Amino acid sequence: MSMKDNIWVYSDLAGRFGELVGTAAALGGTPKALVTGSAADADAAARSGAARVHALTVDTARLTEDYVPAMAEAIKASGTPALVLVAGTRRGRLMAARLAVRLGATIVSDVNSVAFDGDALVATHGVYGGLAQGTERVSAPCVVLIMAAGSAEAPENAAAGTVEAVSATPEGTMQRVSSRPKQGNTVELGRARRVVSVGRGLKAQADLAMIQSLAKALDAEVGCSRPLAEGEKWIESERYIGITGVKIKADLYLALGISGQIQHMAGVSASRTIVVVNKDKNCPAFQYADYGLVGDIYKVVPALTKLLSA
Amino acid sequence: MRIIACVKIVPEEQDIQINADRSLNLERAASKISLYDLNALEAAAEMAAGGHEVVALTVGGERVNNSKVQKDVLSRGADELVLVSDASLENALPETTATVLAAALRKQEYGLVLCGEGSSDLYAQITGILAAEHLNIPVVNVASKVTLDGDAVVVERMLDTELEEVRIPLPAVVCVSSDINTPRIPSMKAILQAGKKPVKKLTLADVEAAPARPGSVLESVQAPKMQDRLRNIIEGDADADVAAFAENLRKVLN
Repeated sequence: MSMKDNIWVYSDLAGRFGELVGTAAALGGTPKALVTGSAADADAAARSGAARVHALTVDTARLTEDYVPAMAEAIKASGTPALVLVAGTRRGRLMAARLAVRLGATIVSDVNSVAFDGDALVATHGVYGGLAQGTERVSAPCVVLIMAAGSAEAPENAAAGTVEAVSATPEGTMQRVSSRPKQGNTVELGRARRVVSVGRGLKAQADLAMIQSLAKALDAEVGCSRPLAEGEKWIESERYIGITGVKIKADLYLALGISGQIQHMAGVSASRTIVVVNKDKNCPAFQYADYGLVGDIYKVVPALTKLLSA
Repeated sequence: MRIIACVKIVPEEQDIQINADRSLNLERAASKISLYDLNALEAAAEMAAGGHEVVALTVGGERVNNSKVQKDVLSRGADELVLVSDASLENALPETTATVLAAALRKQEYGLVLCGEGSSDLYAQITGILAAEHLNIPVVNVASKVTLDGDAVVVERMLDTELEEVRIPLPAVVCVSSDINTPRIPSMKAILQAGKKPVKKLTLADVEAAPARPGSVLESVQAPKMQDRLRNIIEGDADADVAAFAENLRKVLN
């Protein structure tokens, strides 16, 4: 048996199964799925293309994490080599790490691409906040990979697998006291199609108004470089883009009064079109620009808003 | 009770330079406490106000021997710093770090271990969890609130779709989220006192760490290729320039 014939996928959130199945397919395998959610979640996993879904019968009063030992037993029973792909949700990360220790498996976190190279797996993940990519070569009989969101596409028209209910004994001393749904995120800059962003070129917090007007005219979200969020605190930290902040993959990224240090631009380099306005023609930002203008944002931004709102 | 705050000493990523071949140059990168570990130190210090002892624990290569950083750790509420230093831990991956942390913790007395959200170099977000599982003690992550309650701790976890409250019997490991608190700016008094606090240096043999047999190796670290960009730059902000620029933008918007 080779590793691609023994791939398991797990997500505590049903919506991520598709991507995991896609990753398994790219590795040449049709995975088995473990589900700790509802019957509907198990069906979703089956429809996403998992060949067999082991739907654990769970006691919803227990923590999902209490089923890690049962999951480890199911995976151990399948023998080695074994590859377990876990969706990198917050809970998933914790479960994957605990699973890895119980399986005696090697674990790599936040993998954004993976492929076989002979018997070894080669996996990449961001380092230094996305400044660079680290490539790990994994040669172990049992491997757990925490997959980053968006690292693969769900396969289209996948053949639906079968669902098998499996009894499972929870184990754990933690008690779930309460749970309530979270309010939706107020800003999802990482998913925005267009982003207008401002940096130290902005002289006063009140001047954000002109940036917001332009963003509105462009149907864009507002972002910023680190000094405006962490330093001046003029903008909430969820909007700062950079290696220790948000990474964006927008269709259009417009940088206003941003000098373009690598620590910021590493957060935007995956964007399709980068546009820069800065009064310093030698600033690094222009190296990353598809389109640019050397000029004063206080003149250019209101003029652009007027021209583009017409 | 002893509360142990785990910290990682890392290079300052803002000082990292990219070489022509896209490899990283860390020579000018000063050492610092990994950003989100400051939250763990702060959480420990705040809990210690209830009469508990705080010990900071770090494992690593040469960077943990940096006395300036050691004093920084001790100026943030820790009573003592315990460190395990070995050349083999330079650039260690999470599995190796976790094994050594667990070994060091086995030699310590503690009720609660606090870890940060993830280190600023690897940001794997799993090291504290791996260590806990090695020790076979309960562990939670993304803790946005941690409250001691007798021989247990009550934790609020900010998961992706829900806010979960969990009661955990001690000893336990809690990995705190970066929004749990705002780390203090050490006072002059704390900075001066830091120099007088004990630093206990241990070797891998002292903690009886099993030799690392990592199943994975970090083969390369590369900055991404710079995409070829159009570099259509208009020099000047006269009305005609701005109009031409707006035209370029309109092209992109459609």
